[in-house]
Amino acid sequence: MEELKKKLLAYFTDLTIQIHDDYRMCINTQKETVVSLLNYLKNMGYEHFALLSCIDWIDKGEFELIYILSAYMEVCDKYQEKEQGIIIIKARISRDDAKVISVINVFENAEPYERELHEMFGIKFEGHPRLTPLMLEREYEIPPFRKDFDTLKYVDNTFGKIPSIEERKANYERT
Amino acid sequence: MDRNQISKWFKNPGKMANKYSFHVVYFCTGCGIIEIPPSITTRWDAERFGIIPVATPRQANLFLITGYVSTKTLKAIIRTYEQMPEPKYTVAFGSCPINGGMYYDSYNTITSLDKYIPVDGYIAGCMPRPEAIFIGVTHLWKLIDMDKADGYKRYRRDYKFYRANQEQLFKELGWPPLFKDASL
Repeated sequence: MEELKKKLLAYFTDLTIQIHDDYRMCINTQKETVVSLLNYLKNMGYEHFALLSCIDWIDKGEFELIYILSAYMEVCDKYQEKEQGIIIIKARISRDDAKVISVINVFENAEPYERELHEMFGIKFEGHPRLTPLMLEREYEIPPFRKDFDTLKYVDNTFGKIPSIEERKANYERT
Repeated sequence: MDRNQISKWFKNPGKMANKYSFHVVYFCTGCGIIEIPPSITTRWDAERFGIIPVATPRQANLFLITGYVSTKTLKAIIRTYEQMPEPKYTVAFGSCPINGGMYYDSYNTITSLDKYIPVDGYIAGCMPRPEAIFIGVTHLWKLIDMDKADGYKRYRRDYKFYRANQEQLFKELGWPPLFKDASL
């Protein structure tokens, strides 16, 4: 991990790196460097793209994208592959125009994650071939995982406004 | 068989046969489906009560709504319910179909199921144990004896109201109405 940190700091300029528990590395970076950083790490042997997730920091007006990489074990008889741990890459983007370059060219399995984030947070991934709905049935004014989406109000407005059968029947008979 | 019930068999054989042979749609709507495999297999042998899961809704007459219902699942539930032959009974599991349960403020989970399809009985709990399923089924027997499990009759009678509720939620349903005069 320490060697990798030195290499990364020599190669990239705008990184801040912390190492937790000997095998977990956390890299804070800018959104422009993410693709080249992922490409570099993939060549270093971190070939498993485990997760792409997002956090909504509404007070700062930012989304934090989180990419998690890990490596496949090369030596199976030794259980102490401390050198190849987990790498967490964090990049912040603005909340108002949420745009980021897609990482599909580097890791192909990022496609469903990016579709999900587009659906749930409204982030636009430039270069993604199809940002169509993946899970949700209906369309929302604000994407539902954003912090300013008021779930209780939404429930009251959609599901709460539907009358029960008895009410509807009574209304129908009255008119 | 209970000897007291012989007169019932002579009086209304169709109802009694219907009552003791529930064919359940094997439909996983939510978390509660995890209770179904132990209750139909050897530990709590559901076939003692005449309950057997079947593959298609065309052969079934009991619909167990197991757990929370998201809007996408509700569409499938309505279609499955409309495909089942009459007489058909619906039993909803857990607290989520009653009033939303722990998903009361979810953006994608409906809060009460009986606005969209008729429900004959609820089994409360989160989740109900397999014993509770059997108690619920024996209650359903009593309801059938008293002709109170009339969900399918209500659905036929009030179809336009149910259809109006479904259309209010989904804006556009992708299938034609099941019965005639479906519009309000």
